[in-house]
Amino acid sequence: MKTKFSGILTLLLAFVVQLSFAQGKTISGSISDEDGLPLPGVNIIVSGTSNGTQTDFDGNYSISANTGDVLSYSFVGYKTIEKTVGSANNISFAMAIDATAIDEVVIEAFRTSTKETSNIASTTITASTIEARPNASFVQTLQGQVAGLNITTSSGQPGANSTINLRGVSSLSGNTEPLFIIDGVPVDEDNFRSLNPNDIESLSVLKDAGATSIYGNRGANGVVKITTKRGSYNSGLKITYTGTTSFSTLQNHDYNLMNSREQLQLEKDFGSGFGATLSDTELDIRARQADTNWLDVFFGTGLSQSHTLGLSSGGENVNSFTSFGYNDTEGILKRASTLKRFNFRNNLSGKSSDDKFNYATSVSINYSESNEPNSIGSGAINRNFVLGANQSVPYISPNAYVAGQGGNIPVVFANTPLFLLDRLDTYTRREDEIKIIANVNASYKLTNDLTYGASIGADFTDEQLLRVEAPTSFNAQLFAATGDNTPGFSDQDVTRTLAFNFNQNLTYAKTFNEKHGLEVSLFTEYFKAHLRSFGFRQLGFDPATFYPGDGSGFVNDNANDDNYVDTGRANIQNAGLFSYYAFADYDYDKRYGFSATVRRDASYRFSQSNRWGTFYSVAGRWNISNESFMQDSFFDVLKLRGSYGTTGNQRIVDAVGQFAYFSGPDLTRDLFATGGQYGGQNGIAVSQIGNNELKWETVVQANIGLDFELLKRRLRGSVDFYKKNTEDLFINAPIAGSINGGTTGIRANVGELENRGVDIELHYDLFKAKKDGGFNLTLNGVTNYNKQEFISLGDGGDIPFGNRVGGPLAEIYAAPYVGVNPANGNLLFLDINNNITEDLQEEDQRATGQNIYPDWQGSFGLDMDYKNFFFTTQFNYTIGVERYDFDYSGFIDPTAIGQFRHSRDILRAWQNPGDITDIPSLNATNLSDEGLSDRHQRDSDYVRLRFVQLGYALPSNVLDKVGFSSAKLFVSGENLITFTEWRGFDAEALGASQNGYPTPKTLSVGLELGF
Amino acid sequence: MKNIYKLIGAFMIVSLFGCNDAIDIEQPGRLGAENAFTSVADLQAGLLGAYNFLDTTNEIGFTAAFTDESTRGRDNGGQNVNIQNFNLNSGNGYVSNIWLSYYGAIGTANRIIAAAGSVDSSEDQTAYDNILGQTYAIRAYSFFQILTYFSTDYRDDSALAGILVTAPATDIFADVPRSTNGDFYAQIESDLNAAAGLITSNTNQTFMGQDFLTALRARMAAYRGQYTVADGHAASLLASYPIANQAQYVNMFNDSDFTEIIFSLERNRNDSFDGQGLTGGGWAGSLFAFIDSSAGGGPYMEMSRAVFNILDGTSDVRLTTAFNAGDSTVDTGYDGNNNYLNDDVLLVQKYPGSDGQPLMNDLKVFRSAEMLLIRAEAAASASNFTAAATFIKQLRDARLGTAQPIPSYANQTEAFGAILDERRLELLYEGHRWVDLKRLGDMGGRAIDRDAWECSFLAGCTLSNSDFRFTLPIPLSEVTANAAVQQNPGY
Repeated sequence: MKTKFSGILTLLLAFVVQLSFAQGKTISGSISDEDGLPLPGVNIIVSGTSNGTQTDFDGNYSISANTGDVLSYSFVGYKTIEKTVGSANNISFAMAIDATAIDEVVIEAFRTSTKETSNIASTTITASTIEARPNASFVQTLQGQVAGLNITTSSGQPGANSTINLRGVSSLSGNTEPLFIIDGVPVDEDNFRSLNPNDIESLSVLKDAGATSIYGNRGANGVVKITTKRGSYNSGLKITYTGTTSFSTLQNHDYNLMNSREQLQLEKDFGSGFGATLSDTELDIRARQADTNWLDVFFGTGLSQSHTLGLSSGGENVNSFTSFGYNDTEGILKRASTLKRFNFRNNLSGKSSDDKFNYATSVSINYSESNEPNSIGSGAINRNFVLGANQSVPYISPNAYVAGQGGNIPVVFANTPLFLLDRLDTYTRREDEIKIIANVNASYKLTNDLTYGASIGADFTDEQLLRVEAPTSFNAQLFAATGDNTPGFSDQDVTRTLAFNFNQNLTYAKTFNEKHGLEVSLFTEYFKAHLRSFGFRQLGFDPATFYPGDGSGFVNDNANDDNYVDTGRANIQNAGLFSYYAFADYDYDKRYGFSATVRRDASYRFSQSNRWGTFYSVAGRWNISNESFMQDSFFDVLKLRGSYGTTGNQRIVDAVGQFAYFSGPDLTRDLFATGGQYGGQNGIAVSQIGNNELKWETVVQANIGLDFELLKRRLRGSVDFYKKNTEDLFINAPIAGSINGGTTGIRANVGELENRGVDIELHYDLFKAKKDGGFNLTLNGVTNYNKQEFISLGDGGDIPFGNRVGGPLAEIYAAPYVGVNPANGNLLFLDINNNITEDLQEEDQRATGQNIYPDWQGSFGLDMDYKNFFFTTQFNYTIGVERYDFDYSGFIDPTAIGQFRHSRDILRAWQNPGDITDIPSLNATNLSDEGLSDRHQRDSDYVRLRFVQLGYALPSNVLDKVGFSSAKLFVSGENLITFTEWRGFDAEALGASQNGYPTPKTLSVGLELGF
Repeated sequence: MKNIYKLIGAFMIVSLFGCNDAIDIEQPGRLGAENAFTSVADLQAGLLGAYNFLDTTNEIGFTAAFTDESTRGRDNGGQNVNIQNFNLNSGNGYVSNIWLSYYGAIGTANRIIAAAGSVDSSEDQTAYDNILGQTYAIRAYSFFQILTYFSTDYRDDSALAGILVTAPATDIFADVPRSTNGDFYAQIESDLNAAAGLITSNTNQTFMGQDFLTALRARMAAYRGQYTVADGHAASLLASYPIANQAQYVNMFNDSDFTEIIFSLERNRNDSFDGQGLTGGGWAGSLFAFIDSSAGGGPYMEMSRAVFNILDGTSDVRLTTAFNAGDSTVDTGYDGNNNYLNDDVLLVQKYPGSDGQPLMNDLKVFRSAEMLLIRAEAAASASNFTAAATFIKQLRDARLGTAQPIPSYANQTEAFGAILDERRLELLYEGHRWVDLKRLGDMGGRAIDRDAWECSFLAGCTLSNSDFRFTLPIPLSEVTANAAVQQNPGY
């Protein structure tokens, strides 16, 4: 620490050196870089004096000095050279790059180190790759940027929760997502919709045990540490503005869907549905009257805008950063899907003038309003808008829906789009959220080497959920009780969570004999979280005074019927963790390093079984390039790292969002609950069978990595091999329903799951300009290979058609579908003995070794700039993803003829004996067997142009005229092109739900201004 | 240096204080199992909890779709397609629901029985006895349902039934093998006797009284082929539960007439079954339609043509109740019409709804009509064909509203055949057909009898009564967890 600080001072001095007229003997010369090109701006100083100069644009200089004086030549990023003035009047030479001088800061758990002295596997992403992207949640932006971080977003809802897995999925039923820490506050990793991505300064993904085991109880899935922007001391007011406007549209599908005429003809030919009732002439007329592509009705262009204004300034002892953000994002599902948010952030730092006391606060207050449709992915024809868009028959016109007349729509499946048009008009589902993340931290140097620090933080979320079904709506009328003329319901719920975190530490850091660096820290951490929720369901609205969310139209219970009996609900839950831990780091001469962590954790979830867990790690490094024998090698940096250690997971049940801290709070207990009503009276029933042996899930991870920079830093990268074993896996272990009162599963620790693989990160400067405005081109590549395997499944062993030892997670069990029987049009499969059969049995399903998780995933792309233009691309890819295409199975389902839309593929259906085709007879009698087969299993690998951006930075001469300090204009695209065999809208979505909400492709234009 | 000591001191204090505060958290509103049963009132609450597990919609839905009672309806979106095609495996939802709901009831009953001993019964001895008695009755009925659906042969005491569990599990991970029918019958008898000795009152038809016990004995004896016993119990019940006339019959299915009801499971607004249950577990009527039994109610399972063609054109009140004549569209040319799904819409109305809630009705478990048909079976079994015919005539007179000719049966096959035909109509959509074909089909020369046109779209029109699918598979969840359980043949 100390040496680094003085280094910075030297640099500052070098910059502020005064230039002076030449005196005495004049030394001149020219300074070049390693390639022999002139190096302008090199500081030259006569040691021990204030006499100095700089090289000019051509690398030439002259300075007066006396013989025997020492001239010091320094330039940022290059090794400082000292030359003694002799008889020669000319001193010219080439400067050498100093790899260590521009050492990047590495963010670790509770400290920062440098790339040279860090022992951990981590990747840091900076603001430049996060800012101004049109994704409402920054997590989506992260996709593909970090080796091993697999992010999938299965919903096009703005700000939707993404699934985030680091180095594979490490738990079966427990939490599998990394811990997110924003400015020292652990936060809900599922909900970033209210946060402003433009506030982020840097984001570090901590991967190996050496980095994460200090987080013990929550580090099992890795840690993502986010730092937001701050001001700097002694700086003037700086104002930045970032604005983007985006246009999102539905990605393409390749289902070859029928138009109105084709759909009607299919119905007529098959003899089912509306088409079957029409004569040829009538059919022709109808096909001309209505040919609706319902995708265009329910989906459209989502227009979004985002504005962020940032102000930073700093004085001698205090600095601040303040930002205001406004974002209005429309999802591509018209009207039903929006997100609006307002953000405020203030980050303040201060210190005493003797630098002994430092403090910082980070406060962000955020408010968002979103309309988020529910029932997406379900088969509810009256609730899932996407089902209406995908599957509605084209021969119905949207004009057939009359606003306000929902109750009169004839109830048949073919009217699906009309039910949903009515729902768009009459259903409200809004979430209003206040989210506050605040942190105060302070440190005091007790002595030169000993520092006390404390950090208090909180993540507060208040969500108000409003769901209202209007009294005149189709759905309300449909399910109204007999005689209920004022139906409809309103659910209003408020859920408030506060997660509070208090961390204290004592740190001793000292360098002995300039070569032995030692740092030792002791910590305690206290975590407490509280949930309070309440809400009600009101039944019945008077249409005359109805307004969603307002009580004027509420109809009260009466003596005649039970149509308007309202229900109330409330919930209180508390959670807590307590830990103490220690960390030590030793460095020898920047050549060898060693660190160790030990941590004791207690969780409220195991308070009655195994409350304490102990986790540890050891990590070491060897800076090979700092060894004397490497001085002349072409490696600028070569560092070998290794770590081994454990982390824990106490989130037994993988609950989402606000509920995550509180799920499964006392699974060790046998509980009864009020309920089980019969005969109009309340009863009690067993609500939980306890497992009094529950304990921590432990991830044991070994990591070996190599960091390298070579060819004068033009090729940079790292390779990390890891093996991550989850022991005492949280599993919903099967128990016999017969002896356990109908309960078939219990949360237990069973078995072991292994993830092993490699993370590779490479950057290569293909073109590196010699001077400003030249052509730069950097190629980037990030990849991860991960293989999953069950090592053990405990005493219970393999689960039929489920997990098996040696198999991957969520393995697909299916019998091969081999085609259509030319004799009768039935489906043909292979039974378990590989004989062709038409009659598939359950036991014919076999383990395929395939699942929805990729074997390979990552990205490649380039960053280019020339003069004032800059251009970036990022292609993401996954290999080894298998999914079921249920959308397609719906489009070729003959039993849906007359109800839903079809793919033209169905026209290839078998008709006569001898037909050779890939589509079975529409009357195939074994169609229902396909559910046991791989008929609709598809390869969902893809390469996608995830991001492309072209920008222009205004040159300084223009800026001077308009009064800006910087200005950038850019256009960018997200998900513009996808190469895949997947026929659906979105190859990326995890899982296989039918009629899900696809992520959009987005075009945006933006502007960044600095004042 | 003083500061350091202060801080280290603060560290220690926070450590000790923080530790307990953050870890020892009792969530509010928890009722630990150890405190669940401390009074007679607690036992009563537990009893209601046990009743709440009893639900015959799974049996009704499965039977209607698997046999010949119902067929694919106009608004079918894939519901029941597997079992309509005789695709039945251990992953089936009905199968698992039947197993788990009765074992839920058994588990709750076991907990009540185990806890009852430590509750002070002198608080209210009568209430205590009645609670415990009903608990035994629930357990007996649940064991019998398990046996009925999972045993290969009711008349074979050495065939396997389910798992015999009579106490709360001490080892929740234990592997327990299946017991034989003989063991099951013995346990059921024992529970029935215990119940009979405790229950003092017949509260009403929705709580288990002495008559419930008798009805269960009658049905069990009939299934076992012990017809003398069955006949005695059935006869005794018929003395107090007459056969409903046409008007009473209609009202019985509106839940407003209880002439014939010996026991039914009550279904109310806002209870745990008040909702759609497309594969059981909700409104009984929602096994057939999404919304209500009208034309716009989303019929996804309709009355099969096989049943409709028998009843059509008669004055049989069973057509009036089971079929919504006003809203249905009857296409006389359905046979051969490819668009019959849209043109021939036969709406099931057996569960029209009650208390203003469409599709929600009490689940009829024991009715006197079943007792009458048990008497007919007993007579046929004793080759007393005239008596059998007289019982059938008695039922048909009541249902058709006019005196019907007395049938005549030349032999047992004819008699059992006629009884099966009558049971098919009388107990339509009440979850009997599959069991009846299994136990009497071969004796009466009857099998699943689907309409030829409707079943031309399915994998089969009929199935041998000895097919393995006339015994349900042990559900996958049980097989997975219980290594000792033996799967039924064929699965």
